[in-house]
Amino acid sequence: MSAPLIIGSVAYSPNVVPIWEGMRDYFAETSTPIDFMLFSNYASLVDSLITGTIDLAWNTNLAWVRTVAQTDGACRALASRDTDLVFQTVFVARAGSGFTGLESLRGRRLALGSRDSAQAAILPVHFLREAGIGETDVDLTRINSDVGKHGDTGRSELDALRAVLEDRADAAAIGINTWQAIGRGELLPGAFESFWISPEYSHCTFTAMPSLTIDRSDEWVANLFAMDWENLEHQRILEMEGLRAWVSPKLDGYASLIAAVREQKVSDRW
Amino acid sequence: MVTASPPVGAGLLLDLVENVSRVATGRTASVDFGTCDREAALELISAWCLSSGNEIVSMVGSAITVLHGRSPDPLAGLDPGQLPGSRVWVYTNFDCNLACDYCCVRSSPKAERRAIGMDRVRQIAHEAADADVKELILTGGEPFLLNDLDELVNACTNKLPTTLLTNGMLFHGRRRERLRRMDRSQLVLQISLDSATSEIHDSHRGSGSWARAVAGIQIAHDEGFRVKVAATLPADQMHELAPFHAFLDTLGILRDDQVIRALAHRGVAESGIELTVDSLIPEVTITADGVYWHPVAADHDDQFVTENIFPLADAIAEVTRRFIAHRRSANAISEWFPCA
Repeated sequence: MSAPLIIGSVAYSPNVVPIWEGMRDYFAETSTPIDFMLFSNYASLVDSLITGTIDLAWNTNLAWVRTVAQTDGACRALASRDTDLVFQTVFVARAGSGFTGLESLRGRRLALGSRDSAQAAILPVHFLREAGIGETDVDLTRINSDVGKHGDTGRSELDALRAVLEDRADAAAIGINTWQAIGRGELLPGAFESFWISPEYSHCTFTAMPSLTIDRSDEWVANLFAMDWENLEHQRILEMEGLRAWVSPKLDGYASLIAAVREQKVSDRW
Repeated sequence: MVTASPPVGAGLLLDLVENVSRVATGRTASVDFGTCDREAALELISAWCLSSGNEIVSMVGSAITVLHGRSPDPLAGLDPGQLPGSRVWVYTNFDCNLACDYCCVRSSPKAERRAIGMDRVRQIAHEAADADVKELILTGGEPFLLNDLDELVNACTNKLPTTLLTNGMLFHGRRRERLRRMDRSQLVLQISLDSATSEIHDSHRGSGSWARAVAGIQIAHDEGFRVKVAATLPADQMHELAPFHAFLDTLGILRDDQVIRALAHRGVAESGIELTVDSLIPEVTITADGVYWHPVAADHDDQFVTENIFPLADAIAEVTRRFIAHRRSANAISEWFPCA
């Protein structure tokens, strides 16, 4: 039996421990056992991947892009959640506010999530720029309530929505997962409505360095893909992590974020 | 720009999402709806729980507590034979030829009969078969005091496998004739015997009762019946079972049919283990007075469920509903007092 692969993850939620304990128990029965290390932020996670403290990093999309930048593309993405391939940013306003699209935001106040949140800060600015709207054309309010987590918890996104409710902003940009978490505007039809939804892009992915052999990572990925939603014990873990199936990453889904990082001169490091 | 006061509940929804996301799956979080309309708040949170896979645990004042994730099925860990309604107990009567000093339902020669009666037994058997009950268990009192016991038993065995509990002391004369008219292929006799020698048994059940019970086991075997033996023992005697099992072996009782149960502090018993609704997996029990949680407390109000025996499926459903509620409540208590 080979030594366990050490997987690093950021402790963005209390569920991280049961998720990774479940993953560890699952992989203990496979040919590629694992252990896990938790980090308080993605900077430390990526540093530990690059220095070899961990074998794999469970990266957000920004962490992946930064790892690529810091390793000159030597790292490789191994697997993602099915939900990671279809991630979107949603622009939300109070119902009846009259927003019809990004153009409506000119001169208005837009609340963004933490500055390192791809879905709630970096990409929204990118999508505005693609629509011909510069940062000076919109009054941006950045709510940095979970910096370092890359918007993982969505706390800053909820704070952005509160800013809209409290009339500190006219609209907010949030991730599709947060939009779904509040019922997509259907639970309280008079509260929020979305007025623009971005194209799909990729979110989290397991990231490895060249020091992890292809054979070993392939074997691990095969075991990962064998997790089955129909297996209730697997389902318990998958449900907590927010997926129904592990899938191969979709690398072109990071193109918009790579462009956004370049445009906004987002640092390779923290 | 048009401004309006925030829609009622929108902030509540954000607080709810944030609070629940801050606790691990399986833990609870609370949200306070303050002065918002109570029904509207409850409706919103219920809808959110339904759509997000969470569950309301309680509502106290203006605070609603939500479980992150859904609570596990309280019945999932049970053996199929432990599921409420998998078997149904029926107290045929409460009078008895003995006055055991630990009887959980206070039966004795002086006890009122309170017979369940033929009509109800027939309906119970009929509905039990339809309600996916696997077995009927008849007990008392002493059932063989009833003149129509053979008909009662046959009404049950015509529908389901049945076990008849008895002290085994009355297999004589017309009562033995009634025994002979019972269906050996569907009926098991469970005879009470507390010890390998007469002293302990007789000290609780009356002088001479041990010898007559042992004789009753022999008669039942001679009549072609499968016999189980059930012993009721105080906790301090539970470690001295080997001689007793060896004795039952000599009587031809299969090991699987040798049932040892702890003395319960119920009825006229002055000591024994405490059995409450919270600590007992229910066994649907029917008496002439209605439906009880468990046969060990079929004469106690604290385990009375309903006076409505029929439809039997509804009675079983009510016991199941209460059991699930108790289990969830117990889980909630362990959640609130994790160090206790």
